[in-house]
Amino acid sequence: MTISFTVNGASQRVADDMAAEPLLDYLHEALDLTGTKLCCGIGVCRACTVAVTKGATTTAMISCSTPLSVLDGTDIRTVEHVAQGEQLSAIQTAFLENFSFQCGYCTPGFVMGATVLLEQIAASPIEEAQLDRAIADAIGEHICRCTGYVRYFEAVKATALKVIADKTGARQ
Amino acid sequence: MIPQATPNPQHGLSRRRFLQTAAGVITLSVTGLREIPRAHAQRWSPTPGVATQRIDGRTKVTGGKIFARDFNARNLAVHGWPDTQWYAMYLRALTTTRAFEGVDLTLLPADAEPLKVILGSDLAAGQQNPPLSLNRDNIVDEAIMRSRRGPGQAPSQAPSQAPNQGPGKQADPTDLDHPAGMEFDLIVRPGNRPDFLGQATALLLFDTRAAWRKARALMQFEDAKYQNYGPDIGPNPDDPKIFEPQTHYVRYTDSSDPGGGFSYYGSNDADYRKESAEQAIRVANYLNTTPDLIKHDFACDMRAMDPMFMEPESGLIWYDKTLSKLNVLLGTQSPDGDVADIGSMYGEQGSRLKVEHVDLISCFPGGGFGGRDRSPFSLMLALCADFADGNAVKLEYDRFEQFRVGLKRHACETHGSLVVAPDQTIEAITMVLSFDGGGRKNLSPYVASLGALCAGGAYRVPKSDIFANAKHSENVSGGSQRGFGGPQAFFATETAIDEIAAQQGWDPLTFRARNVVSKGDTTVVGGPISQELRLTEMLEIAGNHPLWSERAKLKAQHESDRVAYGTGLAMSLQAYGTSGDGVVAAVMLNKDGTYEVQSDAIDMGNGSATTLGVVIGDILGANASTVEMGGYTLFGQIGLTANRSIGCVPDATWDDPKLTKKGVGSSSACLTGLHQVHAVQQTAHALFANTILPAARALWGEPDLVVQDTSWSNGLLMTEGKESLSLPVIAEFVYGQGLDKGVLGHGYCQEIWVNAMFNTQSGSYRFELDGLATFPSDGGAAKAVPRYATQAMDCSSGRASRYAWAPCVNVIGLTVDRITGEVQIEDVLSVLNAGRIHVEQLVSGQSQGGVAMAIGYSLLEDMPPGIAGPADGRWNLNRYHVPRFHDVPLSSKYQPGTRSQELVIMNETPGDKKQGRGIAEAVMCSVAPAISNALRDAVGVRYLSLPITPAKILKGLYQ
Ligand code: FES
Ligand code: FES
Repeated sequence: MTISFTVNGASQRVADDMAAEPLLDYLHEALDLTGTKLCCGIGVCRACTVAVTKGATTTAMISCSTPLSVLDGTDIRTVEHVAQGEQLSAIQTAFLENFSFQCGYCTPGFVMGATVLLEQIAASPIEEAQLDRAIADAIGEHICRCTGYVRYFEAVKATALKVIADKTGARQ
Repeated sequence: MIPQATPNPQHGLSRRRFLQTAAGVITLSVTGLREIPRAHAQRWSPTPGVATQRIDGRTKVTGGKIFARDFNARNLAVHGWPDTQWYAMYLRALTTTRAFEGVDLTLLPADAEPLKVILGSDLAAGQQNPPLSLNRDNIVDEAIMRSRRGPGQAPSQAPSQAPNQGPGKQADPTDLDHPAGMEFDLIVRPGNRPDFLGQATALLLFDTRAAWRKARALMQFEDAKYQNYGPDIGPNPDDPKIFEPQTHYVRYTDSSDPGGGFSYYGSNDADYRKESAEQAIRVANYLNTTPDLIKHDFACDMRAMDPMFMEPESGLIWYDKTLSKLNVLLGTQSPDGDVADIGSMYGEQGSRLKVEHVDLISCFPGGGFGGRDRSPFSLMLALCADFADGNAVKLEYDRFEQFRVGLKRHACETHGSLVVAPDQTIEAITMVLSFDGGGRKNLSPYVASLGALCAGGAYRVPKSDIFANAKHSENVSGGSQRGFGGPQAFFATETAIDEIAAQQGWDPLTFRARNVVSKGDTTVVGGPISQELRLTEMLEIAGNHPLWSERAKLKAQHESDRVAYGTGLAMSLQAYGTSGDGVVAAVMLNKDGTYEVQSDAIDMGNGSATTLGVVIGDILGANASTVEMGGYTLFGQIGLTANRSIGCVPDATWDDPKLTKKGVGSSSACLTGLHQVHAVQQTAHALFANTILPAARALWGEPDLVVQDTSWSNGLLMTEGKESLSLPVIAEFVYGQGLDKGVLGHGYCQEIWVNAMFNTQSGSYRFELDGLATFPSDGGAAKAVPRYATQAMDCSSGRASRYAWAPCVNVIGLTVDRITGEVQIEDVLSVLNAGRIHVEQLVSGQSQGGVAMAIGYSLLEDMPPGIAGPADGRWNLNRYHVPRFHDVPLSSKYQPGTRSQELVIMNETPGDKKQGRGIAEAVMCSVAPAISNALRDAVGVRYLSLPITPAKILKGLYQ
């Protein structure tokens, strides 16, 4: 028996005896993808967030506490795969231009949490009035020690508003 | 593609320094991950003087390899590292009341067994208790040296002379550390009582990650099963030992003569030591006998706090036997000290490894806040090399271990009195600050010393008696951490001020305004304040802000049976820098017409690299394309020797162009705004004078052109009547004609910047530098440019303690749930004087981070001492609650109805002399007292024990 999934589009097959291995360790050790960060290792800080797609649903997952066993048949995206070549994603650009981060260790987690949120909003736009709540749900549990969150919040909100405007504009 | 570290190109700069050890000379070098800021440098911020993003931002936002934890030996093949990597783990002391007798690993299955088990008794003599070079502050350092040589001994008779730093003479790390009886083993030797909880008891080395992981999983939280201890012998009778020196500031002046009387600043060392005790009695007598004084006694306490930088400490080490070289990879705030300490450790006679070189690959730290400043982690990593049989070794703490052994902010108890005249004039402050230094000596005496200075707050205090010390205990070691004694001292003073106001029915803002210091006043040690502060103006701004002026209305709006609302105000006058700071910087013109800046500073996330990259823009027509931080070897190339015994103006040693007082100091974030920027900008001016202007003169055929005849526009150098010159054209000429391509400058600041004349290729100029060297374009070694006509500081400045200040006023509006005891910060107003703002986004980001951290240690972050705390190895973020999104107001503009934190930055004035100030701790330090003051306003209870948890709130309300 093997567990099969993709990471950033590349197929992975791992033996069953690795079922209990946390995804974070697999990313670091087997794939040398160290953009996803370890901070608490127990599912509190969300520095290790990746995007996991199963069927039509994409979820932000904490890789430090997700064993490979539950990932069979999923597609996993990490921070290394958010930009298209040199082209940063909208949220990466927003974090960069808004000086949202300082040491940057929490940044990959915020990038992935916000990316999943923005994709969800793009897929089913929400009312502007619901946005603060949605942002809090998406990244409110992420820990950043350097910044006080203000510039992260501003960047996510501005980017999400653009997404909402694009989508609602397109619908009209 | 995963970015890889590549070897550091030499760029004509020597990357090495030399350390004289008992076993011979060791070459030390620091290599940066240079291509990280270089990768997208050309377009990172194209407008001169303006940062549109962080220079390191793109790598961070794309998950590039940048932190020490991201690397394994296999990533370092280009540096010659092997791909075989071992893994290290330390066992940790569980008690200080029983002797450690050894380890018992029989419970480990075969596939989790370490390859080697190293006990304290296996270490070579130099490894057992290697010294840390902690020299940081001239005043404290001199006190340490004085205590070594004894009270009657002149400096020249001292057994260990003042440490020298220079090309041939490096600071001897043994000079300033380890008062007798304070030498603690890195690994406890069997048979001995551990000196503190979490002290290592054994080093385990594994040759596979699988074995290491399995062992860790089995042993985590089960330490007791694997270590043997003898019977209980009770607490260590020698504790609490004092981490010398202690600080005692006594001042006695009459209000009619505020600059006179007795003070630390106004006395010479011998007189001060003789008279301070008598003067303290005089202060007490005055307070006891003067009628009508209003005396408020206070006692506060503060728990230790974990810096909780997000990246737990991690590093790699590999001993290359062929080259006798130790290769180290670390993310540290103090690469200079760390690499020297590692060199010293292996430089002892009898060292089993023959070490001739130590090279440190310095990574970006994943946060720091002081917790990576002289962290013992570097020595724990270094130790592994001796037992790894030539394999690379990785030591990586997880969060449990980081909580268990990582440096903490000192717990502190303060008590004292604030004494005020009926006309609201402060008469005196007396205070005792007792810092828990924890297990291993770190920067505790320095922290205590600055805490004593901060005890005077932002006020004129004619009489004072302030004593501060740090004691050894069994707790986790205390480090420098953001605020450096300020958080503890300002909390005591600002809550006392507020309490007197509340008890007397005085307006707390007016009361403060009557007493604030301003330029021309003196500090609590009697030292002059020669910087513009503008505290009165700042209080006025705070007072006119609706958060304060409409506080009664806000209270009425928020209050209900269950919820109370309160407003609190506090201010701080955080000193930054030390009592004498040396900084060094290089600015180079590259062949393609781009610039590179090099600095000894470290960017811990505060944005130093970004700031230093843009502050040359107005001087040199373009921002730096690359900024290399942690330039540990820069000072060694400038041709100066640092000698701490060098004096002030009448001291002829300043006439010797080869001497300075201090090479480089700490890599503190607070040094960027003023000190590091100054060194970079002065060096940029020197590059203009020595390289750009001579090239322009030749290209334009204008041999008499002066600096004032030129200007920059859109990256082009202009002068009237001539075709403008682009930087690539200038660079082509410079390299073609063999002009100097770069300049290296060193500055020393002690109240003023030592300044001197230097002869450059375009004439003689006075720079606020005490050392200058040039780099030829052929890649040759730096050539010193001797200074002359040197102007140094006045003699008295050596006893001023500090000379640079960052004032801040904070107003907090909060609600308290009377049922649950929960406090919510509704609004924060910070009024900050940061001088010149180089990058506004970085300043406000630092401020927001400071506010969040202060909310954390004021209300949430609760860590008991002893084995009930993180020393038990079971602490993580599920128990230690740092602020999250919902704990901080997220709107940056005050607007009733939303939770906001508004930052008002004082406009720049000519008094700022175009200089910035260090700021993160400035904002942070007065948030905690403002919270306590707001709680007093909300519920009428004074809370003086931090953190103010819901349990304490309820206790205050109902018991
Ligand atoms: S590291 Fe995964 S949640 Fe903290
Ligand atoms: S930027 Fe440092 S932890 Fe968030």
